[in-house]
Amino acid sequence: MLDHGNRTGPNDGASAHEDEVPIPDFSDGLVDRSIYSDPRIYRRELQRIFARAWNFMCHESQIPNPGDYFTTYIGEDQVIVVRGEDGLVRVLLNTCRHRGNALCRAELGHTKTFVCSYHGWTYGLDGALIGIPGKKDFYRDDVDLGKWGLVPAAQVDHYGGFYFATLDPGAPSLFDYLGDVGRVGIESMLTQGEVVVLDGVQKNVIDCNWKIAVDNLFDWYHVKVSHSSASRVGFLNQRMMMPMSQMVMLGELGHAIGGPMISQEQQAKIDLLSDEERRTLDGLPDAERAARAPVERRPLRPVAAKAAMGPVGVRSTGHPNIFPNLWISTRGMQLSLRLPRGIGQTEVWWFTVMPKSFTAEQRRVARKFITHSFGPAGLLEQDDGENWSQSTLSSRGVASRRYPHNMRMALGQDEVLVDPSGQKRVETRVNEHAQRWTYKCWGEWMRARDWQELLATRSVSPVGRI
Amino acid sequence: MSLTAQPQHDARLPADLAERMALQYEVEQFLYDEAALLDDRRFGDWLGLIADDIHYWMPIRRTVTVENLHLEYAKADGMAYFDDDRADLRMRVEKLQANSAWSENPPSRTRHLVSNVRLLEVKDGEIALEAAIHVYRSRLNDKIDQWIGKRRDRLRRVEGGFRIFERHIFLDQTVVLSPNFSSLF
Repeated sequence: MLDHGNRTGPNDGASAHEDEVPIPDFSDGLVDRSIYSDPRIYRRELQRIFARAWNFMCHESQIPNPGDYFTTYIGEDQVIVVRGEDGLVRVLLNTCRHRGNALCRAELGHTKTFVCSYHGWTYGLDGALIGIPGKKDFYRDDVDLGKWGLVPAAQVDHYGGFYFATLDPGAPSLFDYLGDVGRVGIESMLTQGEVVVLDGVQKNVIDCNWKIAVDNLFDWYHVKVSHSSASRVGFLNQRMMMPMSQMVMLGELGHAIGGPMISQEQQAKIDLLSDEERRTLDGLPDAERAARAPVERRPLRPVAAKAAMGPVGVRSTGHPNIFPNLWISTRGMQLSLRLPRGIGQTEVWWFTVMPKSFTAEQRRVARKFITHSFGPAGLLEQDDGENWSQSTLSSRGVASRRYPHNMRMALGQDEVLVDPSGQKRVETRVNEHAQRWTYKCWGEWMRARDWQELLATRSVSPVGRI
Repeated sequence: MSLTAQPQHDARLPADLAERMALQYEVEQFLYDEAALLDDRRFGDWLGLIADDIHYWMPIRRTVTVENLHLEYAKADGMAYFDDDRADLRMRVEKLQANSAWSENPPSRTRHLVSNVRLLEVKDGEIALEAAIHVYRSRLNDKIDQWIGKRRDRLRRVEGGFRIFERHIFLDQTVVLSPNFSSLF
């Protein structure tokens, strides 16, 4: 039994001093720039968001065998995600219980044990301390190995093979945490059956606050301008961005989906097609397909997707974000993590998700599209980073930061409709509903002292006018 | 090895020293000229040096332990930073020439330093080589990126020079400490 798991420290954030951090209100659609520049805000985010939330770790296919590990972060805590001899996936803080040294300095690999390079404390794949040099001679056997194992995450679980962990024992289950909107997001990656994550996670550093990277994923307004060079060279089809036909789904705790949609009329036509007919349509050359398929976007989701994603979710082809920082992108074929590295820096990671059923040729085509879209060399992503950096930088200017960001597009202009299934959505044009929702929920996370308070005070997914 | 011993020479290169030196010179001058085209933002001319069958590739490199060095580079059928053919490079060049490629307007200032050029094989008019590169990029007033690494190129001799038909770029960073790769290598 590891008795030191999940401690609360005296400086974790409930101190009177930390409580004085002003958390802005976003109800008027104005975003106070302090949230991108105040170091107190950032410290509180680490405590009240990242140390509390279910954070994405990796996919099961990245660590298939006992002894396989992948290192990642929960906020600024480095963690080892490792498959044990028993086949279970565990998440362990990457810090030796002796002097705090990082046990594992690699991004991934395979091992039998984790041996500290400082004094040689040795831990098993389950985190148990299994040996310390000089136990008899120097410690005179006065050390209880059972009490000094690696600190495990409070909870680890997966949805469809995608592993998440939380450091907070008070967090709800992953299933409940995701809620309908989060689950629709993950299901959007699983419509073609089981998936694998391809070897190689792209990682790069952008000088921007992590939230500016996150809110951009809902921003279908910037595409025309930010990415105009990608359109000009023929890589990006602006028509497919569908600025006049957008759907937004808002989930409790801050999850959201925003972007293009399939209309009810189009979906009714799709519903009449068998899986085989859908596959045949998708296999046609572009021009022929365009004349015959109900929607331009391919692939058509299979019949079973409607049950998995719900009658509304299946019509959303936008971008889901699992709060706080996991973007499900590129038609469900990529995951982008936006990892905070201080208030003004973000590490962006791209995982590539591929259906196991894909042929070599389908995989090649998908890889090509993905490599050229995102990642630091992506024709789209190249131009995002600098905008985000400059937006972050300007939040440091004394005068500039007096002026809040305007996030008021379509504020009070749209209606949330409720489907008989219970799924809610807005059907509208380009808007900033999902961004506002993300910041509103962010504020609730930041004000609540613990999960109990957060669950009692969080906003329910809105209905009616927003 | 005695002082009078002939240096071992690789059977994959011309046996004659003068011939090897001439080829080395010719290849180096080509690589310097090519680098100058990139630094002078003559991207269209640079594209002219790229063969139709180019494979332009920068794999993902990772920090791994000595025991796991076989995992250092992501597999060839996995993900990469660049995995381009000529049409892809043409798209990148056209993008660089568009005023609305915001990561390059104002334009970056780059310097491509190429050194440690080693010919690996010469066969049927094709030359395999390895070189060290140091790409310096100054961006806006205060942003600096530096990428150091190794390039493995394959050149094909054509009338009046060479064409590059393979360029594999291995950077010495794992997490890329830059906001983007809007530059070419």
